[in-house]
Amino acid sequence: MTTRARFLPPWLMTGARFILGLALAAMLWEAAVLLLGIRPHILPRLSTILSAIAATPGAYWSGFLRTLAETLIGFAAGGIVGVLNGVLFFRAPALRDLLFPIFVVSQTIPVIAFGALVVLWFGNTMLAKAVIAFYLTFFPVTVNTLLGLQSVDPRHTALLRSFGASGRQQLLRLQLPMALPQIFVALRLAASLSLVGAIVGEWFGDTTGLGVLLLQAMYNENVVGLWAAILCAAVLGTGFYGLVALAERRILFWGAEQ
Amino acid sequence: MNRGALRGALGVALLLILWEGLARGLALPSYTLPSVSEILLSAWTTRQALLTAAWFTLAEALAGYAIGCVVGIGIALLLSLLPPVRRGVMPVMMAINSVPVAAWSPLLLLWLGVGMASKIAAVALAVGFTVFLSALAGLDRVDRRAADLMRSFGAGPLSILWRLRLPTALPLIAAGMRVSTVRSLIVAIVTEMLGAYGGLGWIIYQAVVQIDFVAVWSAILVASALSLAFFGLVGVIERRVIFWRSS
Repeated sequence: MTTRARFLPPWLMTGARFILGLALAAMLWEAAVLLLGIRPHILPRLSTILSAIAATPGAYWSGFLRTLAETLIGFAAGGIVGVLNGVLFFRAPALRDLLFPIFVVSQTIPVIAFGALVVLWFGNTMLAKAVIAFYLTFFPVTVNTLLGLQSVDPRHTALLRSFGASGRQQLLRLQLPMALPQIFVALRLAASLSLVGAIVGEWFGDTTGLGVLLLQAMYNENVVGLWAAILCAAVLGTGFYGLVALAERRILFWGAEQ
Repeated sequence: MNRGALRGALGVALLLILWEGLARGLALPSYTLPSVSEILLSAWTTRQALLTAAWFTLAEALAGYAIGCVVGIGIALLLSLLPPVRRGVMPVMMAINSVPVAAWSPLLLLWLGVGMASKIAAVALAVGFTVFLSALAGLDRVDRRAADLMRSFGAGPLSILWRLRLPTALPLIAAGMRVSTVRSLIVAIVTEMLGAYGGLGWIIYQAVVQIDFVAVWSAILVASALSLAFFGLVGVIERRVIFWRSS
């Protein structure tokens, strides 16, 4: 390690390296398209895409916000229901046996078909998109919560019980904290999945959102517009994933990696 | 049959009875929720079209799945053998992966057209990344001391890869492949909905446009059955091949 590294806070170093990496990637992209003569039909120059976004920032910004809202609502609902389900299944194995196969089957239903039904049920609203995002996220969180709770050493639970801890105390003080690393693995996956749900949900004739921008660009064979929407989706996906990962590192301060 | 499986069957049966009772008792219109018997009947009468579509979708999913697995595992092996290349390539991989598959689908459709190629590519992309990431995680999981021991006996990198790393990584690779089965069919169907000449996604799209929701449900039925069968098959193969799997 260099001496300078020690005086800079680590987050600043990470941030600087991240920005440097981004700048490098942007230059590589631009240079590759120019030098290799890639046709704009395949991959337009990054500067072209960015200027397309700059030309109509309003459309992209409102689409970004709309999709973000849908993603967040779906993710939050999926996360909460997933953890509650996991706890419920852990406490009541009979219920788990009864319901788990149905959950598994529900996950084999293609989102797109489910989306068509949800839009019909809830109308073409933001709620419908959030429900689709929810549907994609609750299952992985349920599974990992259950796995995490089941992996708690029964001797620890027995010790707590011998001190007179109630079931709720055992759950909140021991079992849930021990399960948190597993739960966060699922939450990170859910962050990506909820975005997919929101985007696909918007394909059913909405007017704003990144999914709408994607479809419109596809129908107009507007490759630059398509790439602009893809870029926005990547920023949204990476940002949200990063936030969840950051929360994970803050909350799991004891560093229980797996 | 053990008690868990019995309860599971009971749960599914209860759900179906509840569903049928709700749909009939409240006389729900079929665009809200058709009864189970109605869906089964419709699936049976349109079985010819559904089977053709299912075959179409399955072919796309299987082709994409095979390509995705081979490419994903291949790249993971290559990168684990060449650490300097890995450091350069990984950020690019993560950047591609940060874009949801659903966002790539329209682009693939523009590039490769409405035919099967765009669906196969979308499935290969989704499966490839899942398998690639799990394979890389598996290859990294090898105990350093075991690798050092083999090296001290004069084993080369390839020999260590074949005898130690790959067997250690296989359970994780298999887990990635198992998760990918369901995903491959879903991605194929999603991409079909954006434009296709056939397949379950195409049937679902047309049924939605014609507001024929019994047809949507029967296509869902076929798609779910197909996914479960594919998932089960890969699970069986996995248990046969990876007999040393610890958990």
